[in-house]
Amino acid sequence: MKNKLSKFAVPYVIWMALFVVAPIIMVVVYAFSSAEGGFTLDNFSNMGAYAVVFGRSFKLALIATVICLAVGYPVSYMMSKEGPGFQRVAMVLIMLPMWINFLLRTYSWMSILENNGLLNRLFQKIGVISLYNGIFGTDLQFFPMLNTQGAVVLGMVYNYLPFMILPIYSVIIKLDRSLIEAARDLGANSFNVFRRVILPLSFPGILSGITMVFVPSVSTFAISKMLGGGTELLLGDLIEQQFLGGAYNPQLGAAISLVMMVIVVVCMWVMNRFGEGEEQAVML
Amino acid sequence: MRKNPAFNRFFMALVFLFLYAPIFLLIVFSFNKGNSNIVWSGFSLDWYQKLFTDRLIMQSVYTTLLVSLLATAIATAAGTFAAIGFFSLRRRARSVLNTVNNIPMMNADIVTGVAMCLFFVAFFTFWSDFAAWFNGAQHFVELPTRLTLGFGTLLIAHVAFNIPYVILSVGPKLRQMDKNLVDAAMDLGCTWMQAFWKVILPEIKPGIVSGALTAFTMSVDDFIISYFTAGSSSSTLAMTIYGMTKKRVTPEINAISTLLFVTVLLLLVIVNVREARLERLGRREVRRSPRAEKVSQALSTPRGRLARRGAAAVLAAAFVVTVCLLTGATNAQPMVNVCSWGEYIDEELITQFEEETGIMVNYQTAESNETLYSLLKSGAGDYDVIVPSDYMISQLIEEDMLSELDYSNIPNFEKISDRFKNLPYDPENKYTVPYAWGTVGIIYNTAMVDEPITSWSAMFDTRYAGNVLMFRNSRDAMATALLYLGYSLNTTDESELREAFQLLADAKKNGVYQSFVMDEIYQKLEGGNAAIGAYYAGDYLTMLENNEDLAFVIPEEGSNWFMDAMCVLKDAPHKEEAEAWINFIASTEANLANMDYIWYASPNEEALEEYPAYYEELYGEELDPEIYEIMAAPQEVLDRCEAYLVLPAETRALYSTLWTELGI
Repeated sequence: MKNKLSKFAVPYVIWMALFVVAPIIMVVVYAFSSAEGGFTLDNFSNMGAYAVVFGRSFKLALIATVICLAVGYPVSYMMSKEGPGFQRVAMVLIMLPMWINFLLRTYSWMSILENNGLLNRLFQKIGVISLYNGIFGTDLQFFPMLNTQGAVVLGMVYNYLPFMILPIYSVIIKLDRSLIEAARDLGANSFNVFRRVILPLSFPGILSGITMVFVPSVSTFAISKMLGGGTELLLGDLIEQQFLGGAYNPQLGAAISLVMMVIVVVCMWVMNRFGEGEEQAVML
Repeated sequence: MRKNPAFNRFFMALVFLFLYAPIFLLIVFSFNKGNSNIVWSGFSLDWYQKLFTDRLIMQSVYTTLLVSLLATAIATAAGTFAAIGFFSLRRRARSVLNTVNNIPMMNADIVTGVAMCLFFVAFFTFWSDFAAWFNGAQHFVELPTRLTLGFGTLLIAHVAFNIPYVILSVGPKLRQMDKNLVDAAMDLGCTWMQAFWKVILPEIKPGIVSGALTAFTMSVDDFIISYFTAGSSSSTLAMTIYGMTKKRVTPEINAISTLLFVTVLLLLVIVNVREARLERLGRREVRRSPRAEKVSQALSTPRGRLARRGAAAVLAAAFVVTVCLLTGATNAQPMVNVCSWGEYIDEELITQFEEETGIMVNYQTAESNETLYSLLKSGAGDYDVIVPSDYMISQLIEEDMLSELDYSNIPNFEKISDRFKNLPYDPENKYTVPYAWGTVGIIYNTAMVDEPITSWSAMFDTRYAGNVLMFRNSRDAMATALLYLGYSLNTTDESELREAFQLLADAKKNGVYQSFVMDEIYQKLEGGNAAIGAYYAGDYLTMLENNEDLAFVIPEEGSNWFMDAMCVLKDAPHKEEAEAWINFIASTEANLANMDYIWYASPNEEALEEYPAYYEELYGEELDPEIYEIMAAPQEVLDRCEAYLVLPAETRALYSTLWTELGI
């Protein structure tokens, strides 16, 4: 049976060769060619100039990932402790925001965080700003929140938090209850049960959660443009700028993409060594 | 943790509040009377009504749903087969293929998008050579030589990133399946096709369903990959929203999101209630005897067959629709693809043109001249008519990207004022028909600065730190610095350009700039979120309608005056329609309507002279002469301004490098 059914894979293998592998080869080809078409390494020789952008992107994405993990893990864990009805509703509530386009949700944050936005208006009304001015002797009309790195991190956490919760939750919920009971029977207190049994067993979920938050965060361009005001470029902005933005240079854009891709792949590979042998957690 | 459920619930409530606060706001403001997302001015359902007449939004909703449904159907079917195929491969081969399969999921969306875009464009180039050769070699079949990004490429991209999710959720179900079942079925005489339908499929159905759901969710939510692969002819809802977030998002978008949100909510509620009931039933069934189970199985078989037929029908329908779309797109009703700037046309004109001529207009906008150039070069923009500014026109002519116009099809060209014909960018006027002109200046909020602004120095002044908005395009941003330093806008002197760049970079480092903007400037200045910004005169007048504190000045050092003109791209597939559009827009009536709507000056002599009278007739009050002067700057102001000229290639490269560097 095996050999017959394996024919099923053939069309998809061809498809992958065409639409997964070939496009990536195109990126590599572009990265190593000059505008006139010849081979060159020029696109990489200036990469040092963009080190700041690489650093900033990885820093912000890392912060966002850590926050997502710090918030997402407890939420998944607490959810798994609730009754089945509660869990069902909670799952729906976590998936539902994804159906409103993320650009729109991010735009909504813009109107919350603006200098003259809802949050600052609220602060003015309830006197937080005058209190702050009184304590620190400053003369603020508002807290500048939009167009800061903090706002960009907030946008990343907001948009990608469900991607952290879902895989962790789906792993925790499938844990073999008898293992926990066994641990208890052997005298472990609840902290030890968590640390020695639940946490290690939920590792695959954590790993795929980290991947699913970190990768889109490090390469986003819409979030940084909207919440960061374009003063702090991220890698995504830099790449977009070279292709469809204001500084047309697809060869440089391809080179930056390639470097980013390699760094991300190496990070993921190193990380996945920890969870070697574990299957990828399914997300939904 | 178990000991403190109240704390747990509270923590979860906080997280949900965080997730839902912005959505709640969106929904609330969809019922707002005004068009603000911050100020509540009363309840109304106007935006819902407007939504259904807004073709741009409805079209993009349609595209989004169509592409998501088709991609989900195709990806679910293909992914399921692929997963079965993978499953029955040897371990080594399987792990290699799984790694490749994971690429689209692990890769950053932007890399996938860019890679796809490059691949498609390369393929199109190859194809056009091939088709030309093929058509030349034989005469039975005529292949189209010109392929462009569009619905087809969008669909391929969506299918490509959806399949991995399907495989990911079907794979584990296959591994859980008892392998002997298949062997047993085949031993008992099943063909492998029968084994698939009768044994494998029922076992892995939950995986298929959740894979399809994931795929659909991913398709609907996707923006980045669509952005790079959809081209200009089809735009998903996400792309439309992205275009809008750059200027003002109309609450119509809030309304459509609310509708989508409520629909999905209802669907999920129904599915979940049903599932919960089935689960309860299932538990009861287990308690019953095995005989009952057999009965229920027997009952469910015909239904299973029905479902199978249903799925086949959906797939077939999806296939037919795709084929129709792909082939029908080429010979549908006459149309013209126009790319202009945001807030740059009275949209009534589009409807009017469509009604008069029967030519459908696909109206797109680009952010700046530089972006437009990128869109054209990368192949992502497939337009007939574009409206670039003077210097970009020269550059496009120089690169042989424009087509010469047949002025006999554009009789309204006669009405263009002589002083706007044969300008340096098109000295013999072979390629262009002027659209609108204006000046660049500083817009500032009189309530937020202490003294009137008169000089470009304000754009670099740390006194206004955090309150200044700078252009997000290299040419205009550099111009502010060059003007302040007293250099020509068209300087090619590297040290002068570097000096100007340094001025910008220092100001940025010192925190002068709140953000780099194009049309986002509307909501920033109107809402009092920033004090000073450099922008175009016409847009200032639009903002003035919403915030009376704003003032406009052409600084003492002088400024830039620009002309935007309509051109037709080389090889445009709808040249005739394009010329009809240009002729329509060049008419006096259209120019008057446009002037009134966008507040940019018209190059049409009659329209320019008649406008004050037109305004008086329309609004019953006299047009403030000061406003008219800002709109149509008098000659003595224009004399202080310099027009952009095209820069030599090496200077353009320097601009590009400096601009990227400034961003860092």
